[in-house]
Amino acid sequence: MKRFIYILVFVLMAQLGYAVDRDSLWVRANDAYSLGEYSKALDIYGHIEKDGYVSARLWYNMGNACYKLQEDGKAILYYERALKLDPSNADVKHNLEIARLKILDKIESVPEFILVTWLKELRNTMSSDRWAWTGVILLLFTALSVLAFRFAPRRAQRKVAFVFACLFLLLTIASFLFSINLKNNVRRADSAIVLVPVSNVKSAPNSTGGNLFILHEGTKVNIIENVGQWSRVELSDGRQGWMLSKDFETI
Amino acid sequence: MMHKIIRNVGRRGVLLILFVMIGVASFAQNFTVNAPNVVEKDEIFRVVYTADAEIESFTTPTLVGLDLLAGPTSSRMTSTRIINGKRTDSYEVSYTLILRANTTGKVSVSEASATIAGKVFTAKGVEIDVVGNNTSASSTQTHQGQVTGNAPAASQSSRNRGEISSEEIFLRLSFSKTKVVKGEPIVATLKLYTRVPVAGFEDIRFPVFNGFWSQELETPQNINFVRENYNNQIYNSAVLRKYMLLPQQTGEITVDPAEMICLIQVRSSGGARSMFDDFFDSYQTVKKRLTTSAAKIDVRPLPSGAPSSFGGGVGEFSMNVSLNRDSIKAHEAGALMVEITGTGNLNLIETPMVDLPADFEKYDVKSTNNFTNGANGMKGKKVFEFPFIPRSEGIFEIPPVEYSYYNISKGKYVTLKSDTLRLKVTQGDAGMQGGQIMMGVNKQQVVNLGNDIRYISTSSPRLAKKGAFFMGSPLFYIVIALIAVSYFLADRLLARGAKLRGDVKRTRNRKANKVARMRLKQAQLYMKENLHTPFYEELHKAMLGYVSDKLAIQFAEMQRDTIRETLEQKGAGEENIESFMTLLDDCEMARYSQSGGAGAMAEQYEKAMETISNLENRL
Repeated sequence: MKRFIYILVFVLMAQLGYAVDRDSLWVRANDAYSLGEYSKALDIYGHIEKDGYVSARLWYNMGNACYKLQEDGKAILYYERALKLDPSNADVKHNLEIARLKILDKIESVPEFILVTWLKELRNTMSSDRWAWTGVILLLFTALSVLAFRFAPRRAQRKVAFVFACLFLLLTIASFLFSINLKNNVRRADSAIVLVPVSNVKSAPNSTGGNLFILHEGTKVNIIENVGQWSRVELSDGRQGWMLSKDFETI
Repeated sequence: MMHKIIRNVGRRGVLLILFVMIGVASFAQNFTVNAPNVVEKDEIFRVVYTADAEIESFTTPTLVGLDLLAGPTSSRMTSTRIINGKRTDSYEVSYTLILRANTTGKVSVSEASATIAGKVFTAKGVEIDVVGNNTSASSTQTHQGQVTGNAPAASQSSRNRGEISSEEIFLRLSFSKTKVVKGEPIVATLKLYTRVPVAGFEDIRFPVFNGFWSQELETPQNINFVRENYNNQIYNSAVLRKYMLLPQQTGEITVDPAEMICLIQVRSSGGARSMFDDFFDSYQTVKKRLTTSAAKIDVRPLPSGAPSSFGGGVGEFSMNVSLNRDSIKAHEAGALMVEITGTGNLNLIETPMVDLPADFEKYDVKSTNNFTNGANGMKGKKVFEFPFIPRSEGIFEIPPVEYSYYNISKGKYVTLKSDTLRLKVTQGDAGMQGGQIMMGVNKQQVVNLGNDIRYISTSSPRLAKKGAFFMGSPLFYIVIALIAVSYFLADRLLARGAKLRGDVKRTRNRKANKVARMRLKQAQLYMKENLHTPFYEELHKAMLGYVSDKLAIQFAEMQRDTIRETLEQKGAGEENIESFMTLLDDCEMARYSQSGGAGAMAEQYEKAMETISNLENRL
């Protein structure tokens, strides 16, 4: 028993130690960035990422470092990753906007149904975790409302409680759906950023296929399927073609 | 009177003569030598020493590789010119040596000296190039008919047919360099070489320098022929044009050839030659088209890695940056001057980047050129003036101005950097600006000076395991389960609570009945035995006893009013009090009257039972 406690303490200490290590890496990388040593900063941020730890802020800082190193494609990739984790971050949106000014391809996206856009905007006001917690709190309120409905002494009180219970239940379901949706967006990895200066999009998944169009660094594509070294991609305007998988990196 | 005037005139005359003498004497400072650059072997030529005053003694120079055939022979020349009443006198003394070269190569005539008015003047020595006399036709003298014996017959015959070989007359376009970097100055010279007499030109087409910025350096009005050794032959050469070229393109640039038609005088030597013909040479004019060969110039691009401050300058420059004033009042005009001095393509350099404080009002840059054209490009300076008007006071720092150029001799970019300049802007005249009254404060928009990404996030990174989400995690399910469980627990608890609350009424009722039954136990016994009086006595006693116990009233103090008051105080309810009182009265009444039977007794018992139960519940 005593031994078990020792082991537990040791493991906890080790965990704490790692956390401290990552924090110091973070500070070191930020210092390097502020001194203008962007490639060094990017390298250290990369260490944190290799450790298996990520956050919207980490991706954001990596994006900034890449932008300063003139690697606009990578900068956009990291900003997009940061936005996936934290869709409401204004800084990320601003910098992504600026980085996108530097890319060559201009693609007219197919307009979406306005309700879908609104829903997406609503969904993007919080991260997946926050939506989940909001849902939990709303669920708590739902439970309380149901209890109130069941045990309120007066009829009028029970009526109000019923309305609230229904409302809270709907909101809870919506929050959980948003949370699941955001989580799946991150998990799915179905969009990618072109990272090579020029990439040919072909009509078939082999090098003999005819060229359909050319994409430049920084353009976002949706991946539909993968065949060997090739991927079928779709642009936001609906055009499709086959592209070498090594030409892009998934967000 | 008369003699006075004469004397005056006489004195003036003496003065005049004196001035003239001084004038002549003051001119006597020239002693020069005139000799050809190039001669042929065995050719007789002259070297002339000239002075513009009487020479007292002349020292003959020593000659190396030359034979002195005659001389020095002196000659004098005086000339007087009167133009618009202005008189010019000139006097010239020359000593002529007649020489002949006896070797080929370089020969020299050493310095010669002459004493003029007691002073010794020295003429510098000359070097003369001597070429072998294997030439087909000879130079200046040839048109005098002195065709040397070894002239090839072919040339002679062709000339007779009115044809002149291109060896005897040609145009040549020469370049100072043919391998240059972009922007490096080149001097191109268009020269005419001839060994035949030229009467005139026609239809001159000068070369076109496409891909170059070109400027004419020399455009002689009179064509002066100079003897020149070209390919070991003596030609009379004349510069027709001289250009300065600045390549603007890279690669191999072809210069389009120049063309002209030359009118050449050829002595006709027809068959019918009389002795007069021989005496009066007859000449015939022949036209000959001359073309330069197309030249190619290899222009390399400037090496890569030009600094951002590179302004296209190629050559050698220096920079001076200054403010026209160190201290200035707000709303007054000032200027920053950037002066680029040196040689190179000064005319083509771009305006340097100057970072004036953002709060200054900036105006168009003025540039002034002050340079002369030369073989190395423009030499001089170019001044860029950056006018500005500071709109607020304070001490402003103007960051160093950087300017880069390509240094040809070093073969690399050189960056010039000035010092940081400080400008003190004092408070301007209150509200006055160019005679215009300014009303109030001049509101300014906050201007965007640049567009950049926002700075990194430096607060806690909030790192989480990759792909870890609260949604769907064990913690999430635990939290949901906790909510569900607590809901059910709360529900169960609440439900049971409600049930218990419902039961209390019943138990209390039950208890109250029990109390009443206990109190009325004896009365019930009497009722069963049908004992009328004891029943009512017992009933009365039980009820009073109950009230006395319940309300803590001493048995002795039992009065109707006290009971009523106390019951009212305890909130027993009017109905119950009334039924209690009625029951008491009934009991007292029934004790003394024999009315009623067993039925009445049972009725009273029930009544008492109910009343006590009710009171028990209420109290």
